Amino acid sequence: MKFPRRIRRLLMLLAASALLLGIPAAATAFATPGTTGTGWIRLAHLSPNTPAVDVYLYSFDNSNAKIVLDHVAYGTVSPYESVTAGDYSVAMRVAGASPTSQPVLSTSVTIQAGHAYTVAGMGPESGLRLQVMDDDLTTPIGQSLVRVIQASLKDQKVSVSFGSTVLASSLAFASVSPYQAVLPGTKTVTVTAGTGDANSSVTLAAGTVHTLVVLDGATGLEVVNLEDASGSGKPPLGGVSTGFGGTAPRGPGSPVPWIAAIAAGSLLALTGGLRLRRRQLNTGI
Amino acid sequence: MPTRRPAALLSLAAGLVVIAGGTAGLLLTRHPTQVIRPVAGVAALPAPTGPIVAPPQSAEPRQVPRPVSLTIPLIGVQTPLITLGLTSSGALQVPSLSQISVAGWYTGSPRPGAIGSAIIVGHIDGHKLAGVFYRLHLLHPGDKVYVRRADGTLVEFRVTLVQTYLKDHFPTQAVYGPTPDPELRLITCGGTFDVATDHYLSNVVVYATEVS
Repeated sequence: MKFPRRIRRLLMLLAASALLLGIPAAATAFATPGTTGTGWIRLAHLSPNTPAVDVYLYSFDNSNAKIVLDHVAYGTVSPYESVTAGDYSVAMRVAGASPTSQPVLSTSVTIQAGHAYTVAGMGPESGLRLQVMDDDLTTPIGQSLVRVIQASLKDQKVSVSFGSTVLASSLAFASVSPYQAVLPGTKTVTVTAGTGDANSSVTLAAGTVHTLVVLDGATGLEVVNLEDASGSGKPPLGGVSTGFGGTAPRGPGSPVPWIAAIAAGSLLALTGGLRLRRRQLNTGI
Repeated sequence: MPTRRPAALLSLAAGLVVIAGGTAGLLLTRHPTQVIRPVAGVAALPAPTGPIVAPPQSAEPRQVPRPVSLTIPLIGVQTPLITLGLTSSGALQVPSLSQISVAGWYTGSPRPGAIGSAIIVGHIDGHKLAGVFYRLHLLHPGDKVYVRRADGTLVEFRVTLVQTYLKDHFPTQAVYGPTPDPELRLITCGGTFDVATDHYLSNVVVYATEVS
């Protein structure tokens, strides 16, 4: 029984490629966590002496507004809207003005997937500007995250505390304090200012992000408590044990027997191959 | 010795066959997330009726009523919601073996319809029978999920993402972290069942957002 050399070579090549293919198969990666490619934006009017405005959100390169908020008065903050990540512009027009008229103000904002933004009209009417804030969506475990927006024109500087924790000290009009992590609870928020103090009871729960907005009220200062984001105050550890296996396919579980089989097969093929080769050399074919 | 030659060839051929079989087996074990379950007998339910509430405003957050039941029409899920906490080891509590047909809401998460990510979990199966979330992995972006609350109102959610994660790489921040709008996370098991530990190796997570 003689096998042509070509067939022997082919068999050897097959053995080698089977070995090579078997190894990467063991390293097949699992799917990586995906995202939906969306972020969030909300729009606000925080300029005390500016009359109501219409606020428009445009997607880049599209003159049709994606969101229109009519007659937004001082102190209004919209809920977050979920939008596809990308470049947008925000425009403000005097309330009731034609949607095609020249806006009083506009600014561009890049929305990244998984991020949230607040775009607010800030400052006095004479120096009105649109400020883009990158809002935080993570809290240290067991704590609450809070910041202050100073939107009172009557008092140019305010100090704000949550219980005994100082959140902002002499915060200037039309500015935003950095976020601060605080222990959760229901405490008194005290706003100290030249024209008088304001107090209100505020609950900050673990796993939540808040913005306190200081506004000029009808009589004195007002504090609006915005719940920006909320999650599990105590995030459960690890995965969730939600199955007993009654419907699971009883297939091969561990890769070890299969790797062992590949190794044994390789050994067998190699032995056969070597013996063939040795015989070849001995007989001088 | 001409008789040794067929033996050598036989050894080579048998070796190749074993390598091929081993590789095929290995490839199958490496794809635990692609197990296809039978879908026969899915009875789609009608959407529940009742007043659908609008999403909450972020100013002056108010407590919304607690959730009492869950309906996912497309995969025939209609279940009351029990309340779940954490185990002594800090893991998420799950319904007991006698409650595989019932889902539960994690009381440490926001209430469905309030701002934030509400967590609802259910079993894929018991020791023999299918559980309440047996077909959860069949949901797709755009499918509707309804939660009824104690005052009779409904919150309507739309699925945005369905993912399977190895439990060893569970994305805690994405699932339990803060979100700025009312969202829902439905969690069950999936992937390969590890007979050695009596646990599935993966979790299926359905992400949904309240319809505004």
